[in-house]
Amino acid sequence: MPSLNIAEVRENFKNSLASAKNIQELEEVRIKYSGKKGELTLLLRSLGNLPKDERKEAGIKLNELRDEFEKDIELTSKKLRDSENEQLEINERIDVTLPAKNNLNGTFHPVVQTMHEIANIMQGLGYSVATGPELEEDFYNFEALNIPKWHPARDMQDTFYLPDGKLLRTHTSPVQVHAMLEFGAPLRIICPGKVYRRDNDTTHSPMFNQMEGLLIDKDVPFSVLKGTMSEMLNAFFGRKLNYRFRASYFPFTEPSMELDIECVKCSGHDENCRVCHGTGWLEVAGMGMVHPNVIRAGKIDPEIYNGFAFGIGLDRMAMLKYGINDLRLLFDGDVSFLLSGF
Amino acid sequence: MYISLELLKNFIDIRPDLTPEEIAERLTFSGSEVENINYCAGKMSGVIVARVQELEEHPEEPKLLIASLNTGSGEHTCITSAHNIKKGDLVFYAGAGAILPNGIEMGIKDFKGVSSSGMMLSAEELGLKEADDPSGLLVLPPEARPGDDAKSLFHIGDVIFDVSITPNRGDLLSHLGISRELKGLYPESVLHMPTWLRQFKQDNEWTEDFGEISLPDKGCYAYRLGLVTGAKIKNSPLTSRIDLVHLGMRPISNAVDVTNYVMLMLGQPLHAFDLNTLPAREITVRSARAGEIMRTLDGKDRNLTENDMLITSGGEAIALAGVMGGEQTGINENTNTILIESASFSAVRVGHTSRRLGINSEAAFRFSRTVDPALSNTALIAASALMRDWCEGEINYRPKFAENEIKNIQPVELTRKKLNVYLSFDDMNAASKILDGFGIKNIKDDHENKIFMPPTWRPDITIEEDLIEEIGRYRGYNEAENKLPGELPRRADVGDVMKISGFIRNFMMAKGFTEIMTYSFLPEDFAKKLKLNDTDTRSDLIKIANPISRDHMAMRTSLIPGLLNALKNSLASGWKDQIKIFEQGRIFLREGENNHIEPEHLAGLIFNGLDDRSAWNDRSEDFYNLKSVVENLIKSRGYTPEFKTGHENFTHAGQTANIFIDGVKIGFIARLKPALEQEININANKIYIFEIDTGFLINLKSPEFLPVSTFPASTRDISMLVSRDKNYAKVISDIKNSAGEDVKILTEIRLFDIYEGKGVPENFRSLAFTLTYRSRDRTLRDEEVENINLKIRENLNHKGYIIR
Repeated sequence: MPSLNIAEVRENFKNSLASAKNIQELEEVRIKYSGKKGELTLLLRSLGNLPKDERKEAGIKLNELRDEFEKDIELTSKKLRDSENEQLEINERIDVTLPAKNNLNGTFHPVVQTMHEIANIMQGLGYSVATGPELEEDFYNFEALNIPKWHPARDMQDTFYLPDGKLLRTHTSPVQVHAMLEFGAPLRIICPGKVYRRDNDTTHSPMFNQMEGLLIDKDVPFSVLKGTMSEMLNAFFGRKLNYRFRASYFPFTEPSMELDIECVKCSGHDENCRVCHGTGWLEVAGMGMVHPNVIRAGKIDPEIYNGFAFGIGLDRMAMLKYGINDLRLLFDGDVSFLLSGF
Repeated sequence: MYISLELLKNFIDIRPDLTPEEIAERLTFSGSEVENINYCAGKMSGVIVARVQELEEHPEEPKLLIASLNTGSGEHTCITSAHNIKKGDLVFYAGAGAILPNGIEMGIKDFKGVSSSGMMLSAEELGLKEADDPSGLLVLPPEARPGDDAKSLFHIGDVIFDVSITPNRGDLLSHLGISRELKGLYPESVLHMPTWLRQFKQDNEWTEDFGEISLPDKGCYAYRLGLVTGAKIKNSPLTSRIDLVHLGMRPISNAVDVTNYVMLMLGQPLHAFDLNTLPAREITVRSARAGEIMRTLDGKDRNLTENDMLITSGGEAIALAGVMGGEQTGINENTNTILIESASFSAVRVGHTSRRLGINSEAAFRFSRTVDPALSNTALIAASALMRDWCEGEINYRPKFAENEIKNIQPVELTRKKLNVYLSFDDMNAASKILDGFGIKNIKDDHENKIFMPPTWRPDITIEEDLIEEIGRYRGYNEAENKLPGELPRRADVGDVMKISGFIRNFMMAKGFTEIMTYSFLPEDFAKKLKLNDTDTRSDLIKIANPISRDHMAMRTSLIPGLLNALKNSLASGWKDQIKIFEQGRIFLREGENNHIEPEHLAGLIFNGLDDRSAWNDRSEDFYNLKSVVENLIKSRGYTPEFKTGHENFTHAGQTANIFIDGVKIGFIARLKPALEQEININANKIYIFEIDTGFLINLKSPEFLPVSTFPASTRDISMLVSRDKNYAKVISDIKNSAGEDVKILTEIRLFDIYEGKGVPENFRSLAFTLTYRSRDRTLRDEEVENINLKIRENLNHKGYIIR
């Protein structure tokens, strides 16, 4: 076998390889040289016809050539595949700014979200969640909370009644008594839930949401109530707020206070603020040290235990946090409102 | 309640450097919130007293009068259309450049050739419409001097606080009460009594015949009557009328105004009778008889109970005690002999009556918050003195009175320990001083503790905590430390309901549903609208006895109406895209005669929107999309739901399923009845809904995890024609039955094709499944699988399936 022949095959192979434009043409090249009837295959087969002394040398050369071909084909194949994939990706380019598919997103209701957020915060302070009926007995809603039938404090809460004398709870406070009766002292509970009052105008809804908090223990000072309120509200609003407590009156606490927080919108810097009307303060909660009569109604000895209770409006919390200015929007179920923030 | 700064000065000397704003803040922080401070004169400036020097008709316009005014420092010409003035009268004059309370600036104006400078004022222009006849100018009493600034006269420039008084502090519903409170808050102030409240001799016998006052009802603690004879009924003095208007009351006549004025000053409600209209010359205060009817002065007939107290004369009811007078016995313009009633009634009794009858009169408001019994005497003296001054009556008659026993104020002990626990403050002497300022006297010391006697006007102070509150609100609460509670009594737990509702809302939101909250109420015609049967528990509404709107008549028994309303509201506000919403909340069902339950429910809704063109988004979700949500929710709690063909009167007869867990129905899923869909949207687009009782999902049923089989699976496809009366669930159960014992290696039956139409006989559909066979303990041989598969095909054939 003349060495020229090998050189020629090699050169032809290299030329064909260079002109292969895709995997298919490359395959044709491979078949032409390394296929069953390929030129190189035929040369290898013809080795047997060579004289014995030439056979060995030619064999080595041809095998080297075969290795070279295989390596070249593999390299070229990889190169071609890479460039084909590159082209593929170019062809498959998309407009990533087109909308996401099924982009209708499920979102939370601001009040329910607030309820869960605050419950989580309060769990961190050791408060468990207690529940009570929304259709409540007069005893738990009023009498046990130190509000007898004739008491003018009943005027503070215009009540929906049922024909059988039960009522729609006007606050979450009755859960205080249920919880004391069920769990005894010491006790730390919150009760978020719906409450109802006979009131319907731009700032009052016949149904709204409150959260009651109650702590009963030995020798509980006001300062723990104060610390608890600021811890809870700082966590909820995500920053350290200013607080002020005003003396007030609730039949079920003594002493009683109301809490104002700094306006979460303007912090008192905007005279025309729509949220605080320029006062710089927002009334957010009523509270106080639990009245001994209420502790007694919960079958706990007020000589041994005392504590505090507070009530906050969850709708108001939600409205403040999420910048909502109309209470009535909350209960319409109108998705144009509920999805407007997302 | 309105409090006048001018009138407070009758009772207390407060530090003169305190501004109204500072006083308001101190009151607010101590528990009586000042909601507003009203500077009565507003923007008024330059309004002064002027004397009418000359008055003549306008030569061309007889309706107008030309007045020459003397202000003491100059003369002005001013035209008016009012005809109630005469030469020599004193009026308020706002000359050119003067500003009225409402901010309007006066100028010079020409009236048909006569130049008029500014204007003379009526009460209305002073912002005091009700204080005088609004059709004429305000003619001033002779003590006004030309040139005086209006703001300094007749309390026109008063400052009024609008104070919100808490129900426990009936004692603060007067100027006397607020003065006492200010004394407590500013201990350096000096309390005194007004000059008109002076003692005078009231020792003459009555010139009128009058019998006894009898008090058979113990709810009347004291009843006093004063006599005024020769009274002349007319307007009250101008300053007093202005005071009343500032304090929110309409001046009526001098005699009536006296009773109102004394009430506003001292807090004691009074009543004035015309003696000559009394049915008899005696008064009896007794309980009403059940069913007794009395006509109150608002003309309404009141049906009474034994709790109500009546003032009667000659057996006839003349007033509902402490609440409202009767129609017949009031003061009229011809009255000349007046009986002033000053009485003390039980707060509980008056509270019951006024709440039951819904009468919240000034008197009932005060009595139900407790009026200091000691006031009835003082108030009668005050009213008598004012009747003499305002009505020119004779008052020197010894008052008649009767009394019952009153529950006395009891002493209360303050311990250093409790004071320290509550307020982290234990200076007992400082505490004692604070209490003293509020009139609460330290009467005895007991080692570290002190005993205090509250004054007669503070019946609200009955326990130690009440004393602590006085000290707390004096000192303020803002300086206290911020502390957190110590050791936990037990592990805190958000509880089952909150946990499951939290889980569900996260699940539903992740599935693209928006959370809503709707009212817990239903309209009365709810059951009719949803075509519910009378026997349906959801038709048995728990009704509200005193609803305020037709949409809020009863408690909801289903969450579906709320969802449908939300859908309507969304469409009404212009939403056109898909709507997927859910709500969690309680429903209210009767249980037995007197009980009810409040199960927690979840309901959801899919509406594909009004515009189904979309290049991107699948807006063609259907029953099975919603089913996937419900099924996966239930599965994710470890339960296997079962869906069976069901029926609801308000859902599509052919697209309704009941949902079961372990054989117990927990709810339904359905398409709404087309007729209802048509009502909700004109396009009649489909509405899919579900509602379940989430109580069944509270306990997470721990799933059991299995190792993966290491042996290979074999699959066989099977395709068959199925009669439409066999539903999918039936087909699956027939396939399983057909496998017999070998069902345990039939690990999956996967539907890969469902077809009906061309090529399939009517009332049939073609179903194709891939059956997977796999054992956990060995490799299945090919012929074994083949045999099982053949057995299944054969058995299915027997059951009437046409295997293809």
